Amino acid sequence: MSNTSNNYSSKHLKWKLLRKHISPAQLVGFSLASLIGLTIVILAVQFHQDVRPIFNDEESFIKKDYLIITRSVSTAGTLLGGSNEFSQAAIDDIEAQPWCRKVGKFSSNDYSLYATISVGGAGGGAMGTMLFFESIPSEFIDVADSDWKFDPEKPEIPVIMSRDYLSLYNFGFAASQGLPQISEGIVSKVPLDFTLRGNGHNDTMKGRIVGFSNRLNTIVVPQEFMKWSNERYGSGIDRNPSRLILEVNSPGDVKMQRYFDDHGYQVAGEKMQQGKAQYFLNLIVSIVIVVGIIISVLAFFVLMLSIYLLLQKNTKKLQDLLLLGYSPAQVSQPYINMVLAINAAVLVLAVIIMLLARAYYLPMLQAMGTSGGTIIIALIVAVVIMTLISVGNIIAIKRKIKALWIQQS
Amino acid sequence: MNTITLHNTLPAVFAGRGDTGSEIWLRDVTFERGKHYLISAESGTGKSSLCSYLYGYRTDYSGTMAFDGRDIRQLSVAEWCQVRVHNLAYLAQDMKLFPELTALENIMLKNSITNHKTEQEIVGMMQQLGIGDKVNSLVAKLSIGQQQRVAIVRTLCQPCDFILLDEPVSHLDDTNNAIVAQMVMEEAKRQGAGVISTSVGNNVKITVDKEFKL
Repeated sequence: MSNTSNNYSSKHLKWKLLRKHISPAQLVGFSLASLIGLTIVILAVQFHQDVRPIFNDEESFIKKDYLIITRSVSTAGTLLGGSNEFSQAAIDDIEAQPWCRKVGKFSSNDYSLYATISVGGAGGGAMGTMLFFESIPSEFIDVADSDWKFDPEKPEIPVIMSRDYLSLYNFGFAASQGLPQISEGIVSKVPLDFTLRGNGHNDTMKGRIVGFSNRLNTIVVPQEFMKWSNERYGSGIDRNPSRLILEVNSPGDVKMQRYFDDHGYQVAGEKMQQGKAQYFLNLIVSIVIVVGIIISVLAFFVLMLSIYLLLQKNTKKLQDLLLLGYSPAQVSQPYINMVLAINAAVLVLAVIIMLLARAYYLPMLQAMGTSGGTIIIALIVAVVIMTLISVGNIIAIKRKIKALWIQQS
Repeated sequence: MNTITLHNTLPAVFAGRGDTGSEIWLRDVTFERGKHYLISAESGTGKSSLCSYLYGYRTDYSGTMAFDGRDIRQLSVAEWCQVRVHNLAYLAQDMKLFPELTALENIMLKNSITNHKTEQEIVGMMQQLGIGDKVNSLVAKLSIGQQQRVAIVRTLCQPCDFILLDEPVSHLDDTNNAIVAQMVMEEAKRQGAGVISTSVGNNVKITVDKEFKL
């Protein structure tokens, strides 16, 4: 009985009528085109998300638009006694360049410095080495103020150290000496003593490592400490800096590169290359996304044409249904359901393909030291695109059916 | 809906012809609920046009048509849907059946949105009209006369204030004409509905309160 009444339900009968003239070939064509377009878009977005961390080395305490430059050291310069330092005029000139936002000077210690690390606790030995400090203005360093200050009354020296030094210890020294490898977390807790000597003073102070940097290839201390210690232990001679830190508009700027080449400056680290590589990555991803969107838009029009054709072929039936008292909304419903079902299937398939492709390339990225970005953004993009397409389809169907309401004589 | 009124109405195609001698066009006419009207016409005098205007799917006329005094040009799409489901039962001259559905499916397509009759009642009406054996036949396979009877049953499957029949018996013999007439009269009486029927010669055999010449 329920089966019988179900067979005569308005929904069932409507679908039986209106599914006629639906062309599976056209719908498959649309679905494929739409699937390809959407997959390309979200895969590009996802790839961008996953690859980006490789370019942005995650350093919370130094921003990514900073470059460190030095003057090239040439043999001739060394022999002729040429200076590696930046004169005030050179600094002013850099500061005046349009790509430069801010210039900071590196200052170094002007006294003798000896560092001691206690290894293995109370019973263990101690390692010591001659060392140097450098400082840059605090505005270039993004560490909590409470961690990055120096008080002569309670002398403790906060230090940011190059990550290379730790690597050197772990993979060079510790491995060969049978010493345990140590993590960044442990190093930060290792007791560190600095002995500062000069100008008739000789003091030992505690040190504390507040962070490691890939880009500051040195040992950085707060500028206020540098000023204080140079005054106390130093010779009092004011020297020009041999390194500068620059805040720039875009690390990949070609004009900037040309300027550096002309003046014989070198950029420390790979930041410039990374800037360029990232620029090309963004460019390529943008191109791929545009191509994907074009395919999606074309697919959208294929579906629109297909639906228009279908409605055209079924015009008389649709009009007769309206005459029976079916509302335009009721008459459009089977087509809207069909479109929504297709679009939902395309959405799910596109996400699955994206995730499969991601599972394929992610191990390669992991070898480069990143575990990939979030998939949320790609999912949001997929849902937004499919929602826009569906809304466009629904509006078109409704308008087309509404146009059938008044018949021409 | 108690009255359908026509005021100075004329199909756009007749514009400029002057007085056509019609008792409907360019006149003031009122159809009242509960009464039976026959509009007899010759071919090409705008009989089907009149029905399409009253049913709201054509608007190419001048003058005013009104339901209970309300100009039907003012009705929204949603209101027209209500009228077609609850107030006005309509049998089009070309019947507007769906050939790919069976006779019963065609009728149920209407009845499923009005829930006016049970399946048994519908099958009973079909048997009365001599098409009881065609319940599950595709409409495409039925003769014109059989199709007309299916369309009549479908028309009666709804609550209504007026039943608008455009040449309901043009393809029926006298016996079936009489059965149709009786069925329409019974349904109209049950609902207190008015009947407006058009004809080019073969009138449905209902008792008529007023006859108009179109």
